[in-house]
Amino acid sequence: MSNVWLLYMGFAAVLLFAGLYCLLTMRNLIKLFIGVEVIGKAVTLGIIATGATKNSILTAQALAVTFIVVEVCVVATALAIIINVYRHTKSLDIRKLTQLKG
Amino acid sequence: MMALQIGLLCGLVVFSLLAVLLRDILKAAISLAVASLLLGILFFRLDAPYAGAFEISVVAGLITVLFVVTIALTKAEGGVHESRAAAWIFPLFFVVFLVIDFLVMRRLIGQVASLPAPAEAGTFGQVLWKGRTFDLIAQVGVIFAGVFAVLALFRKRSKHE
Repeated sequence: MSNVWLLYMGFAAVLLFAGLYCLLTMRNLIKLFIGVEVIGKAVTLGIIATGATKNSILTAQALAVTFIVVEVCVVATALAIIINVYRHTKSLDIRKLTQLKG
Repeated sequence: MMALQIGLLCGLVVFSLLAVLLRDILKAAISLAVASLLLGILFFRLDAPYAGAFEISVVAGLITVLFVVTIALTKAEGGVHESRAAAWIFPLFFVVFLVIDFLVMRRLIGQVASLPAPAEAGTFGQVLWKGRTFDLIAQVGVIFAGVFAVLALFRKRSKHE
Protein backbone atom coordinates (compact mmCIF):
# COMPACT_ATOMS: atom_id res chain seq x y z
CA MET A 1 0.00 0.00 0.00
CA SER A 2 1.31 3.39 -0.89
CA ASN A 3 1.75 6.27 1.51
CA VAL A 4 -0.58 8.40 -0.67
CA TRP A 5 -3.42 5.89 -0.25
CA LEU A 6 -2.96 5.89 3.52
CA LEU A 7 -2.98 9.71 3.50
CA TYR A 8 -6.36 9.71 1.75
CA MET A 9 -7.67 7.02 4.08
CA GLY A 10 -6.52 9.09 7.06
CA PHE A 11 -8.52 12.10 5.85
CA ALA A 12 -11.51 9.84 5.09
CA ALA A 13 -11.30 8.47 8.64
CA VAL A 14 -11.37 12.04 10.03
CA LEU A 15 -14.51 12.81 7.99
CA LEU A 16 -16.09 9.54 9.17
CA PHE A 17 -15.34 10.47 12.79
CA ALA A 18 -16.86 13.94 12.36
CA GLY A 19 -20.04 12.45 10.82
CA LEU A 20 -20.37 9.79 13.52
CA TYR A 21 -19.85 12.45 16.22
CA CYS A 22 -22.65 14.52 14.66
CA LEU A 23 -24.98 11.50 14.62
CA LEU A 24 -24.22 10.63 18.24
CA THR A 25 -24.46 14.09 19.82
CA MET A 26 -26.81 16.34 17.82
CA ARG A 27 -30.57 16.55 18.39
CA ASN A 28 -31.70 18.52 15.33
CA LEU A 29 -33.02 16.19 12.59
CA ILE A 30 -31.51 18.28 9.76
CA LYS A 31 -28.16 18.36 11.57
CA LEU A 32 -28.28 14.58 11.88
CA PHE A 33 -28.70 14.33 8.14
CA ILE A 34 -25.78 16.68 7.60
CA GLY A 35 -23.80 14.11 9.61
CA VAL A 36 -24.95 11.36 7.25
CA GLU A 37 -23.82 13.53 4.31
CA VAL A 38 -20.36 13.98 5.87
CA ILE A 39 -20.06 10.19 6.26
CA GLY A 40 -21.09 9.87 2.61
CA LYS A 41 -18.25 12.21 1.62
CA ALA A 42 -15.80 9.99 3.51
CA VAL A 43 -17.06 6.94 1.62
CA THR A 44 -16.86 8.65 -1.79
CA LEU A 45 -13.36 9.93 -1.03
CA GLY A 46 -12.29 6.40 -0.02
CA ILE A 47 -13.69 4.84 -3.21
CA ILE A 48 -12.09 7.36 -5.59
CA ALA A 49 -8.74 7.49 -3.74
CA THR A 50 -8.50 3.69 -3.76
CA GLY A 51 -9.33 3.59 -7.48
CA ALA A 52 -6.79 6.32 -8.27
CA THR A 53 -3.94 4.64 -6.38
CA LYS A 54 -4.78 1.11 -7.63
CA ASN A 55 -5.14 2.10 -11.32
CA SER A 56 -8.86 1.23 -11.28
CA ILE A 57 -10.22 4.73 -11.58
CA LEU A 58 -12.93 3.82 -14.13
CA THR A 59 -14.53 1.18 -11.88
CA ALA A 60 -14.13 3.53 -8.90
CA GLN A 61 -15.94 6.31 -10.79
CA ALA A 62 -18.79 3.94 -11.70
CA LEU A 63 -19.15 2.94 -8.03
CA ALA A 64 -18.96 6.59 -6.90
CA VAL A 65 -21.67 7.63 -9.37
CA THR A 66 -23.90 4.77 -8.13
CA PHE A 67 -23.28 5.84 -4.53
CA ILE A 68 -24.13 9.48 -5.31
CA VAL A 69 -27.43 8.49 -7.00
CA VAL A 70 -28.41 6.35 -4.00
CA GLU A 71 -27.36 9.20 -1.65
CA VAL A 72 -29.63 11.69 -3.44
CA CYS A 73 -32.64 9.35 -3.21
CA VAL A 74 -31.99 8.73 0.49
CA VAL A 75 -31.64 12.47 1.21
CA ALA A 76 -34.82 13.38 -0.72
CA THR A 77 -36.87 10.74 1.11
CA ALA A 78 -35.38 11.58 4.51
CA LEU A 79 -35.96 15.33 4.11
CA ALA A 80 -39.59 14.63 3.11
CA ILE A 81 -39.95 12.57 6.31
CA ILE A 82 -38.35 15.42 8.32
CA ILE A 83 -40.88 17.93 6.92
CA ASN A 84 -43.74 15.57 7.83
CA VAL A 85 -42.31 15.09 11.33
CA TYR A 86 -42.11 18.89 11.73
CA ARG A 87 -45.75 19.26 10.66
CA HIS A 88 -46.81 16.73 13.28
CA THR A 89 -44.61 17.71 16.23
CA LYS A 90 -43.86 21.41 15.38
CA SER A 91 -40.26 20.67 16.28
CA LEU A 92 -37.13 19.16 14.75
CA ASP A 93 -36.00 17.71 18.07
CA ILE A 94 -35.21 14.00 17.76
CA ARG A 95 -36.31 13.46 21.38
CA LYS A 96 -39.88 14.48 20.49
CA LEU A 97 -40.11 11.35 18.34
CA THR A 98 -40.10 9.22 21.49
CA GLN A 99 -43.77 10.22 21.83
CA LEU A 100 -44.52 7.90 18.93
CA LYS A 101 -43.70 4.80 20.95
CA GLY A 102 -46.32 2.60 22.63
CA MET B 1 0.84 19.01 -7.26
CA MET B 2 0.51 16.94 -4.08
CA ALA B 3 0.47 20.16 -2.02
CA LEU B 4 -2.69 21.28 -3.85
CA GLN B 5 -4.39 17.96 -3.12
CA ILE B 6 -3.44 18.13 0.55
CA GLY B 7 -4.78 21.69 0.64
CA LEU B 8 -8.06 20.50 -0.88
CA LEU B 9 -8.26 17.66 1.66
CA CYS B 10 -7.62 20.08 4.55
CA GLY B 11 -10.31 22.43 3.18
CA LEU B 12 -12.70 19.48 2.87
CA VAL B 13 -12.15 18.51 6.52
CA VAL B 14 -12.44 22.13 7.75
CA PHE B 15 -15.73 22.82 5.93
CA SER B 16 -17.15 19.42 6.95
CA LEU B 17 -16.32 20.22 10.59
CA LEU B 18 -17.96 23.64 10.18
CA ALA B 19 -21.07 21.89 8.80
CA VAL B 20 -21.15 19.69 11.89
CA LEU B 21 -20.35 22.36 14.49
CA LEU B 22 -22.15 25.53 13.26
CA ARG B 23 -25.36 26.21 15.17
CA ASP B 24 -27.03 28.03 12.25
CA ILE B 25 -28.44 25.22 10.06
CA LEU B 26 -28.39 27.34 6.89
CA LYS B 27 -24.70 28.16 7.34
CA ALA B 28 -24.05 24.47 8.05
CA ALA B 29 -25.78 23.48 4.78
CA ILE B 30 -23.72 26.04 2.84
CA SER B 31 -20.51 24.75 4.48
CA LEU B 32 -21.50 21.25 3.38
CA ALA B 33 -21.94 22.53 -0.20
CA VAL B 34 -18.45 24.11 -0.13
CA ALA B 35 -17.01 20.81 1.17
CA SER B 36 -18.70 18.98 -1.73
CA LEU B 37 -17.26 21.53 -4.16
CA LEU B 38 -13.73 20.95 -2.82
CA LEU B 39 -14.26 17.17 -3.00
CA GLY B 40 -15.39 17.51 -6.62
CA ILE B 41 -12.27 19.54 -7.50
CA LEU B 42 -10.17 16.83 -5.79
CA PHE B 43 -11.85 14.18 -7.95
CA PHE B 44 -10.88 16.16 -11.07
CA ARG B 45 -7.29 16.23 -9.75
CA LEU B 46 -7.42 12.43 -9.28
CA ASP B 47 -8.41 11.92 -12.96
CA ALA B 48 -12.03 11.12 -12.06
CA PRO B 49 -13.92 13.80 -14.05
CA TYR B 50 -17.29 11.99 -14.16
CA ALA B 51 -17.37 11.47 -10.39
CA GLY B 52 -16.23 15.10 -9.95
CA ALA B 53 -18.99 16.41 -12.20
CA PHE B 54 -21.58 14.32 -10.33
CA GLU B 55 -20.25 15.46 -6.96
CA ILE B 56 -20.38 19.15 -7.89
CA SER B 57 -23.69 19.16 -9.77
CA VAL B 58 -25.70 16.67 -7.71
CA VAL B 59 -24.26 16.77 -4.19
CA ALA B 60 -23.09 20.41 -4.06
CA GLY B 61 -26.08 21.62 -6.11
CA LEU B 62 -29.17 19.46 -5.79
CA ILE B 63 -28.74 18.22 -2.21
CA THR B 64 -27.94 21.76 -1.01
CA VAL B 65 -31.15 22.99 -2.64
CA LEU B 66 -33.08 20.20 -0.91
CA PHE B 67 -31.54 21.18 2.44
CA VAL B 68 -32.32 24.89 1.92
CA VAL B 69 -35.93 24.09 0.93
CA THR B 70 -36.32 21.92 4.04
CA ILE B 71 -34.88 24.68 6.24
CA ALA B 72 -37.29 27.16 4.62
CA LEU B 73 -40.29 24.87 5.19
CA THR B 74 -39.38 24.35 8.82
CA LYS B 75 -38.08 26.88 11.32
CA ALA B 76 -34.30 27.18 11.10
CA GLU B 77 -33.61 25.90 14.60
CA GLY B 78 -36.82 23.92 14.93
CA GLY B 79 -36.98 24.64 18.65
CA VAL B 80 -33.99 22.41 19.31
CA HIS B 81 -31.40 23.28 21.94
CA GLU B 82 -28.19 21.40 21.31
CA SER B 83 -26.15 20.22 24.25
CA ARG B 84 -23.36 22.71 25.02
CA ALA B 85 -21.24 19.99 26.63
CA ALA B 86 -20.98 18.23 23.25
CA ALA B 87 -19.42 21.34 21.67
CA TRP B 88 -16.74 21.43 24.40
CA ILE B 89 -16.00 17.71 24.38
CA PHE B 90 -15.67 17.53 20.60
CA PRO B 91 -12.23 19.19 20.26
CA LEU B 92 -10.82 16.85 22.93
CA PHE B 93 -12.13 13.71 21.24
CA PHE B 94 -11.07 15.08 17.85
CA VAL B 95 -7.45 15.61 18.94
CA VAL B 96 -7.33 12.13 20.54
CA PHE B 97 -8.78 10.64 17.37
CA LEU B 98 -6.26 12.51 15.17
CA VAL B 99 -3.34 11.17 17.25
CA ILE B 100 -4.68 7.59 17.11
CA ASP B 101 -5.43 7.96 13.39
CA PHE B 102 -1.89 9.22 12.68
CA LEU B 103 -0.22 6.48 14.75
CA VAL B 104 -2.31 3.66 13.21
CA MET B 105 -1.81 4.92 9.65
CA ARG B 106 1.92 5.35 10.22
CA ARG B 107 2.16 1.81 11.58
CA LEU B 108 0.20 0.39 8.65
CA ILE B 109 2.56 1.85 6.02
CA GLY B 110 4.49 -1.01 4.44
CA GLN B 111 2.73 -3.65 6.51
CA VAL B 112 -0.53 -4.06 4.61
CA ALA B 113 -0.08 -6.31 1.61
CA SER B 114 -1.03 -4.79 -1.71
CA LEU B 115 -3.43 -6.83 -3.85
CA PRO B 116 -2.56 -7.14 -7.55
CA ALA B 117 -4.73 -4.92 -9.73
CA PRO B 118 -4.74 -5.44 -13.51
CA ALA B 119 -4.77 -2.27 -15.60
CA GLU B 120 -8.22 -1.23 -16.84
CA ALA B 121 -9.00 -1.04 -20.52
CA GLY B 122 -11.68 0.92 -22.36
CA THR B 123 -13.59 4.07 -21.51
CA PHE B 124 -15.77 5.09 -18.58
CA GLY B 125 -18.89 4.43 -20.66
CA GLN B 126 -17.80 0.88 -21.44
CA VAL B 127 -17.02 0.14 -17.79
CA LEU B 128 -20.32 1.68 -16.60
CA TRP B 129 -22.66 0.18 -19.23
CA LYS B 130 -20.97 -3.21 -19.71
CA GLY B 131 -19.08 -3.87 -16.49
CA ARG B 132 -21.54 -2.40 -13.96
CA THR B 133 -24.87 -3.08 -15.70
CA PHE B 134 -26.45 -4.53 -12.56
CA ASP B 135 -25.58 -1.31 -10.68
CA LEU B 136 -27.49 0.70 -13.27
CA ILE B 137 -30.59 -1.50 -12.88
CA ALA B 138 -30.37 -1.04 -9.12
CA GLN B 139 -30.00 2.74 -9.60
CA VAL B 140 -33.22 2.86 -11.63
CA GLY B 141 -34.98 0.90 -8.89
CA VAL B 142 -33.66 3.22 -6.17
CA ILE B 143 -34.71 6.34 -8.11
CA PHE B 144 -38.26 4.99 -8.54
CA ALA B 145 -38.38 4.04 -4.84
CA GLY B 146 -37.29 7.60 -3.90
CA VAL B 147 -39.85 9.23 -6.20
CA PHE B 148 -42.72 7.06 -4.91
CA ALA B 149 -41.65 7.64 -1.31
CA VAL B 150 -41.66 11.44 -1.75
CA LEU B 151 -45.04 11.28 -3.56
CA ALA B 152 -46.50 9.14 -0.75
CA LEU B 153 -45.17 11.48 1.94
CA PHE B 154 -46.56 14.63 0.28
CA ARG B 155 -49.88 13.25 -0.96
CA LYS B 156 -52.96 15.24 -0.06
CA ARG B 157 -55.12 13.58 2.54
CA SER B 158 -58.75 12.93 1.70
CA LYS B 159 -61.53 14.28 3.95
CA HIS B 160 -62.13 10.80 5.44
CA GLU B 161 -58.51 10.66 6.70
